Amino acid sequence: MRHAMRHAMRYVTRAVVLVALASGCSSEREPGSSSTTRTADPSDVIDQDLMIALAQAKNFHHKAKVYMTDGNLASATAAVRQILSLPFPRGAAEADDVRNDARALLAKLLVSQNQLDEASRTIDEGLAQSQRESFFVANLYTVQGEIHEARAAGFEAAGEPGKASATDERRAAISSYDRSIQINERLQKKLMEGR
Amino acid sequence: MATQDDDPLTGPVPDPDIEPTPAELAHARRFAELVDKTLTGRTPPAMSADDRALLEVTTVIRATHGNVELAPSRQRQLVEDALRQAIGAAPAQGTVTPIDRARSRRAPWYVATVSTLVAAAAVAVLWLRAPKVEVVRQAQVPAEWTSRSADGLVGPIARAHAGDALSRIDTIFADRLDGFRSRRWAPGGTR
Repeated sequence: MRHAMRHAMRYVTRAVVLVALASGCSSEREPGSSSTTRTADPSDVIDQDLMIALAQAKNFHHKAKVYMTDGNLASATAAVRQILSLPFPRGAAEADDVRNDARALLAKLLVSQNQLDEASRTIDEGLAQSQRESFFVANLYTVQGEIHEARAAGFEAAGEPGKASATDERRAAISSYDRSIQINERLQKKLMEGR
Repeated sequence: MATQDDDPLTGPVPDPDIEPTPAELAHARRFAELVDKTLTGRTPPAMSADDRALLEVTTVIRATHGNVELAPSRQRQLVEDALRQAIGAAPAQGTVTPIDRARSRRAPWYVATVSTLVAAAAVAVLWLRAPKVEVVRQAQVPAEWTSRSADGLVGPIARAHAGDALSRIDTIFADRLDGFRSRRWAPGGTR
């Protein structure tokens, strides 16, 4: 019994000494813990990786613009698609905005090539991947409304059998525009409150 | 040339019935004196290797036979004191310390308790003074240096400009380039 107690005492004492040493070490390691001039986290600030990604996106947009001017919509579409696979720094808020804007343009290019399903899929993917509401998300809903309008026009052109579908598509377009308007209103209100 | 007297350990063992030689008697007397001195704590600093070996053997033999004893008066005094303490009386001269007092069972617990309290206090102090850095850190970085949503820069996008992504990326890039350069080249910036 006494032997066991002596063992227990030995362990307690060792544990106390270790805790005391750890406290001493940590207090030595943080001599400036009260400092207010620490550098921000690299993920918070604009760094070279973010600037490279933005520059790449800018270049692809310009390339697409040239193709569009030449009437080469397929190549313009391919150029805009490449923006979606650009690597952005982890947590960069600009990544969502730039990709959503590229998706909006891509969907409009697809609509102009009468690829309505592909355009609709592009918008849906952008909405699903968005982390937050933004003017760019609202713009995706706007383009979604345009796609529904284009579908409605297609049904309308088919004559009497497509009238009901055309009506549905027009309702869907109104719903999409409403979502866009609501998001814009919320964000504008938030921005006004922030000023 | 070495003789038997000079080398008692390795030489031949003499017949026990033979009368000892004067040299052997002298050696025996000298060794007896050496043993006496050792037992009284006066071991000579220098002696021959043979004498030292014999002395060690003698000491071991004496210890194994239990010949180390206290003086009778000292023995009586210790027994008396032990009996007095057994019946609750104080020892006569305080010469015998009770075993409970000699090895206190509580002392290690006192040490452990005090040490634990000190360690707990140290941990509490570290824990209480740890925070306050995060909030201040955010305030140290200008907003224009940070990666952020482009909503404030672009504003609501009109339907007529839904596909005008080129002008918006130009605006975003120019703004972020300003912030990037400011961060790199400003006095407080990071290069």
